[in-house]
Amino acid sequence: MLDRLFYEDKGVLLQNLHSVTILGYLAVLFALALLFSHPLYLAGIFLISALAVVTAEVLEKWEFYLKAGLWMALLIMVINPLVFHAGKTILWRSPTLPLLGNVSICLEAICYGAAMGIRLLAVLTIFCLAAAVVHPDKFLSLFSRFAYKSALVVSLATRMLPAAARDLANAREMLQLRGVDYGAGNLKERLKKYSWLLDLLLLSSLEGALQIAEAMQARAFGTGPRSCYRRELRRPRDLLCFTACCFALVFSCYAKAKGYGDYNYYPQLGVLVPHPASLILLGIILGSLALPLVLNWGWKHWPYLRSKI
Amino acid sequence: MSGNKGKSLAVFLIFAVILVGMLIAGMWEKNWSFLAVTILFAALTFLYLDFERGSVSSREIGLIAVLGTMAAVARVPFAALPNIQPTTFMVIVSGFVFGPRAGFMVGSTAAVVSNFFLGQGPWTPWQMLAWGLAGITAGVVRTFRPRIGSAGMVLFCFTWGYLFGWIMNLWFWTAFIHPLNWKSFLAAYAASFWFDTLHALGNAGFYLVFGSRIIKVLERFQKKLKFTLVENTNG
Repeated sequence: MLDRLFYEDKGVLLQNLHSVTILGYLAVLFALALLFSHPLYLAGIFLISALAVVTAEVLEKWEFYLKAGLWMALLIMVINPLVFHAGKTILWRSPTLPLLGNVSICLEAICYGAAMGIRLLAVLTIFCLAAAVVHPDKFLSLFSRFAYKSALVVSLATRMLPAAARDLANAREMLQLRGVDYGAGNLKERLKKYSWLLDLLLLSSLEGALQIAEAMQARAFGTGPRSCYRRELRRPRDLLCFTACCFALVFSCYAKAKGYGDYNYYPQLGVLVPHPASLILLGIILGSLALPLVLNWGWKHWPYLRSKI
Repeated sequence: MSGNKGKSLAVFLIFAVILVGMLIAGMWEKNWSFLAVTILFAALTFLYLDFERGSVSSREIGLIAVLGTMAAVARVPFAALPNIQPTTFMVIVSGFVFGPRAGFMVGSTAAVVSNFFLGQGPWTPWQMLAWGLAGITAGVVRTFRPRIGSAGMVLFCFTWGYLFGWIMNLWFWTAFIHPLNWKSFLAAYAASFWFDTLHALGNAGFYLVFGSRIIKVLERFQKKLKFTLVENTNG
């Protein structure tokens, strides 16, 4: 469970972008998923993030997010109609219920719940994508320039976690060989057996902390200003993708200012497409956000393009 | 050195401008989900900044990394029990012994590092904040009530079971529920009541079974950390 990183190198373009570019792309997707409330815009963001997951070749990991997301989306679709009754299109009125009183289920609340369900799935998909395409080292190296102590702590812990998980499994096996049965006894007895495991691990790990400190001091930690080596290069693909992100962000702000990104759910559902410009803007935003995915296709199937970006 | 400082200041200023911009945009639009996320990132930024500005030795960095790892790995043996995991307990005892700053770092590190392996999600920054705050408050409790006693700590751990769930629910409530009133608040929180109760009971149980012993081990180690070699000036 904790012996392998969630990230796996698949050699796709999204994994080979500069950390600033890929984090910018993900941040724009995330911000737009939170800013827009129009169902078509939310569906568009979900579609782009889903396509990005497909191009990043992490469908099996996405399945786990979707399973969790569908349950939460269902909960959102249940809670919203239960707590909002001021919609104009009443579908069903319940008899008087204890605590809740008269519950009116309205179409507007169901539609709002469904749109928020799409928002949730979009956000989960964006985070799945982030976990699948951004290597922890790349992420931490970006922060190490201006928050090196925090980045160092997280980096050390990331390195130690698989080893600690292995130590835990070994200690458990060792105690089992000595006759400790973790399944036997009541909850208190079982907790006590687990406490031996934690004790073992804690004591050995704390001694390890001193060794880490000595190793850091041997490498001159804290003796003077830090030097910084940057391995990542900015390539044409970064410029293209970053420009596309900025383009999408500017047009999204324009769509928000014009009110195209918002939708009136209450008290009555508004018109889905109030102006053709709303669809044109959506097309431009989605087109810009799809550029890295198109480049990814070229990266895979067009060696000439790959050599140039 | 001054170049590095200048760059750090520039990055901080850019980050601050982005945060203020997001805050204004969220307030202008009355978009509570956006606002909640902005406040969350601002809080995390300032808490990390506090750690960066403080003087931290290599021993402390090693210790925080080890405790963060321990808190994260402790999720594994109890994975079969729903929402009963000793991470919150480990963070609380770390904060209690080593202070609020170390408590925050242990909690936030446990969240981010374990999710590098289990999968990051919108829950990660909220877990970082919730566990971080559990560590900070444990340190603050130690400052004001050093002799709080076992009963007090059990109650503290139990309370954090609920507080953790409530912080985690904030985003769900602000981002996906309308309208934001007491009724919708209670409906959203009622959905997680049993999970939070199990978490609270687990925390209290862990403190009762392991608490005093682990605190003793950590306090002994704290003395070791403070140990320094005094040079003999008399020749």
